Order: sequence, then C-alpha cells, then structure tokens
Amino acid sequence: MTYDDICDQCEEWMQPFMDRELSDAERAEAEAHLEGCGYCRKRYRFEESLRIFVREVCAEEMAPELKAKLAALRTPL
Amino acid sequence: MSEVTPTEPQRLAAEARDRVRFEEEALELSDQVYRVARRLVGSREEAEDLMQETYARAFRSWRSYTPGTNLRAWLLRILTNLNIDRGRRKQRAPEMQPLEEGDYFLYNKLEEASREPVSDQDAVVEKLSQTDVVSALSAVPHDFRDVVVLVDLGDFTYADAAQILDIPVGTVMSRLHRGRRILKTALAEQATT
Repeated sequence: MTYDDICDQCEEWMQPFMDRELSDAERAEAEAHLEGCGYCRKRYRFEESLRIFVREVCAEEMAPELKAKLAALRTPL
Repeated sequence: MSEVTPTEPQRLAAEARDRVRFEEEALELSDQVYRVARRLVGSREEAEDLMQETYARAFRSWRSYTPGTNLRAWLLRILTNLNIDRGRRKQRAPEMQPLEEGDYFLYNKLEEASREPVSDQDAVVEKLSQTDVVSALSAVPHDFRDVVVLVDLGDFTYADAAQILDIPVGTVMSRLHRGRRILKTALAEQATT
C-alpha cells in the first residue's frame, strides 16, 4: 500500500473509530498510522472536537414544568 | 424451609414496589431521553408532547420491560415509534444522490477557508456557530437524522440504534455515514459563505 492508500483507509475508519466500532486489529492499525501521520491525526482531532461541540450546542435542557408533568403521569399508589 | 406461596396482598405489594422502582428509574433518565427527543423533532413543543406520550405509555406498559436491560433504549424505542405513528412519516429512505466527499471534507474546507495555517484543531471547530449546527442538523432528512441523533447525541451503539429504530445494523451504519456527510456539507457551506 502507498502512503495515500493508508490515509484513504484511515479516512474511512474515522467514523467507526470514533464510534468505538472498529475491530481490535483495525483499531491497532489505525492507531499505528495516526502515530506517524500528522495529516490524519489533525483530522481525527478535529472530528473529536467537532463531535463534542455538536453535542454541547444541541443539548437543550428540559423545562422543569415538563419534568413535573412526567412525574404526575405515574400510577397513583 | 418449604416454599411459601405468597398471599394475594403480598403479591400486590411486591408488584407495587416493582412498579414504583420502574417509574423512578424511568424518570431519572428523562433528562437524557429529552435531549435526544428534542433533536428528533423540529420544535420544543413537539418534543414535550412526545415525552408525555412516551412516559404515559411506558408507565402503562412497564411490565413488558425486562429489568436489567437498557431502559434508556427501551424508552427511546417507544418514543421513536410514537414519533413515526404520528403519521408524519414512515421509515423510508429518501432518494439518494451520491455524495462524493470523504470524511475529511469538512476539515479540509474549513482549513482552506482560513487565512493562516491551522495549528489548533479546536480553533477550526470554533468557526462554526451554535445556530449553524442546530439548523444544519434539523435540515438533515428524518431517516438519517434519527440515526445521527441516537449515536452522536444519545451515545448509543450501532446495535442499540438498530433495535430502537427496528432496522438492521447495516442500515444504521449506512444512514449514519450519509447523515453525517449531509450535516458536514451543510456546515461547510455555512462556514464558508
């Protein structure tokens, strides 16, 4: 495999890598490549920050009134 | 000691205790369930209605929950089913246009758009605004968005998401892949125009 092929493979693995869904062997191979490849490492780090960012900005807390309404749905004892 | 058959009052007391326990556990998860629900639908009002319907149904059918299994996934399965039942939609994948960009696409776009070489990846992320992200996510077609919301915001595994949506794991993976790309394409457009 050429350098570019390995980077292409690493790009394809990025999502399952972040989702912790790669096999152990694939994960080890990706980690070994990332160790030596600044190009891929930057992009993996970006993806990680992006996911945290998306999760944070999309988090909207529930209104306390809704919480009370849900609690009121319980079966009375 | 011989087995003692519980009396009817004892049986009822045990059942009441199990039910209360279920209700407490389900309510403790409500913040987490809401966070997912809020992004599965377009508005806060819809999310609130859906939460109430979900909890009403969950409390009615608590006996069908198997203790020790993933209660958050169980609740979200009810919620996504109710969401589909609202007649708004069926689980049907929209027409596919090929998306050629790979997974490094958004980073490459953002880096290209910045004047100086990028040393800090967090700074690249900060080029995106909260409203951009929220509107880009809400613009992702439902079938893809459901999966992205469950996995990326709800932190469910592919297998959990497959069970919640009642679709094969392979479909979860392909929709996730595509959903994230649609999201990133929209983010790239917003950040560079």
